[in-house]
Amino acid sequence: MRLLLVEDDPMIGETLLDVLRAEHYAVDWVKDGEVADMALRAQQYDLVLLDLGLPRRDGLEVLRQLRARRQQMPVLVATARDAVEDRVAGLDAGADDYVLKPYDIDELLARIRALIRRHAGAIEPVFSHHGVALNPATREATRDGVPVSLSAREWAVLEPLLARPGVLFSRAQLEEKMFSWKDEVSSNAVEVYIHGVRKKLGSELIQTVRGLGYMVPKE
Amino acid sequence: MSLGASGHSLKGRLLAFLLAAVLLVTLMLAATSYRGALREADAMFDHYLQQTANSLRGAAPLGIAPEAFDSGDGFELYIQIWGPDGVQLYRSARSALPPRAVLGFSDVRVEGSRYRVYSVQNRFQTVQIAQDMDAREARARAMAWRATWPLALMAPLLMLAVAWVIRRSLAPVQRMRRQVASRAADDLSPLETQGLPDEVRPLVQELNLLFDRVQRAFEAQKSFVADAAHELRSPLTALKLQAHALGRADRTGDEATREAAVQRLNQGIDRAIALVEQMLVLARQEAQAGQGQPAQPVDLQALVRDGITAVLPQAQARGIDLGVLEGDPVVVPGHPDSLAVLLRNLLDNAIKYSPAQGQVDVGLHQQGSVASLVVEDSGPGIPEAERTRVLDRFYRVPDAPARGSGLGLAIVKTIADQHGATLLLGASERLGGLRVELQFRAAT
Repeated sequence: MRLLLVEDDPMIGETLLDVLRAEHYAVDWVKDGEVADMALRAQQYDLVLLDLGLPRRDGLEVLRQLRARRQQMPVLVATARDAVEDRVAGLDAGADDYVLKPYDIDELLARIRALIRRHAGAIEPVFSHHGVALNPATREATRDGVPVSLSAREWAVLEPLLARPGVLFSRAQLEEKMFSWKDEVSSNAVEVYIHGVRKKLGSELIQTVRGLGYMVPKE
Repeated sequence: MSLGASGHSLKGRLLAFLLAAVLLVTLMLAATSYRGALREADAMFDHYLQQTANSLRGAAPLGIAPEAFDSGDGFELYIQIWGPDGVQLYRSARSALPPRAVLGFSDVRVEGSRYRVYSVQNRFQTVQIAQDMDAREARARAMAWRATWPLALMAPLLMLAVAWVIRRSLAPVQRMRRQVASRAADDLSPLETQGLPDEVRPLVQELNLLFDRVQRAFEAQKSFVADAAHELRSPLTALKLQAHALGRADRTGDEATREAAVQRLNQGIDRAIALVEQMLVLARQEAQAGQGQPAQPVDLQALVRDGITAVLPQAQARGIDLGVLEGDPVVVPGHPDSLAVLLRNLLDNAIKYSPAQGQVDVGLHQQGSVASLVVEDSGPGIPEAERTRVLDRFYRVPDAPARGSGLGLAIVKTIADQHGATLLLGASERLGGLRVELQFRAAT
């Protein structure tokens, strides 16, 4: 899952980047409103973690423009602005959720998972299909109830596919979800990790649509 | 400021004094009027006696019916008439008067009753006419009372009028009191001055000015607290995240990650401490500005020497060449501690924002009555558009290479204002970075 972290405080940004990467998210970090806007125009993210008090362009403005462009990605506002009217303004501008600094990191991660899940249209906290279940909260993968150990990249390629069964993802789309700007991506990375997933969870789970990409078929 | 509790109510006093005065004047008036009426009645009765006596003098006394002189309410006249030879010609009923009397008016006491007697004599007869004094006095009192009682009625009316006037006159004060009493604790909006008497209006106007000052101080305080709370959230968030990262590193057991996490946590704590310290410095300086302590002569040369010594290790650690460019002896009136804080902030900034191996110059010079302290650095400087905003609390220039508390220049500005000094931000021509100049009025 690909996240955009918009945070101007270097200390918060650095640590949050580490925490999110440890949770196997592919994270891009931008430090001001202008760059955030550019990133949002260029890239489809699975979630945006947005600070409001940003240099150059306020986070609310970035959010309004995002929604004005009819981009649907979930936005979690994480800010120090605690007044009720700020929260109302944030939610009205198109935020899906609002957390106050200083937040608890476990709560923040849970909210991120919930937003991604809801955006995928799932209600249960576990993505489950064809006997394969992924629990993003615990990072546990099971096949017919038996735990399976997936590497971070294997998880990263499987999660978006399993989250939206029946949706076709191109190789480029999967790459985007797996890697941030800073990651070196080899040309056959997606194939390599899909191969790894098939070996562990069975070849019928992920279907290859030749020339187009991959999908998990609907049940 | 309780009006009633201290026993010093204006209304109460006015009412008490005026009502007492009304009462006193009414009583005095009633007393004199009563006495006057009595005197008049006395004179009138005497005149009546005289008239009656004179009318009897020439008449044939024997034909007078005694009841003609009896008004029937005990207010009767007692008459005796004697002939020239002393023979009593007439004597009215029930007269117990002595057979002789002095001519003219006299008071006579007979058998416990007092009489007013008038006697007149001519060639043919002597007429004596008398009145019972008690009856006469009762009659006089009744007449005097009739003259006095309207006053007794007027007094309460007058009192009511006085009370009404006082109440009405003090109504604006009452209204003001209610207006103040019904206010919320933090409501410092001005009081209505319309309809106030001239005596009270200046007081209320002064109060409004005070409210205004308090309000502004209040708002500055409130915004500072709000800003401070807001600003503290970032370092606290960082600390929380860093602590979390440290906990995770402990679990995964990677020594290098753990060390990095500890280092970050320490940096986070240092930053929180620095921010809190800067906030305290600013709060203290702002409080001091309000206290108006007397200025004393400050030797800026010594101040610069001490200031540079203090930050030298910091500068050397980054290989920055820190030194004094011009060092005129300059003395300005001011507060040495505050000026040391000011210089420290300027030097900290200059060192922080200069690149490694950069240069920071301090200059002191005096031209006429203007003394200048100049700090220049070889950092990125501040774009012209940002130069007024950087003086605001917690404002940070976007893309600044280092991240400070956002308070340094706000502190400098506060202290400069406190000293009546002019703070000029510009670009350093020699070093390419920021040039901060403070212009003081030098001590003479």
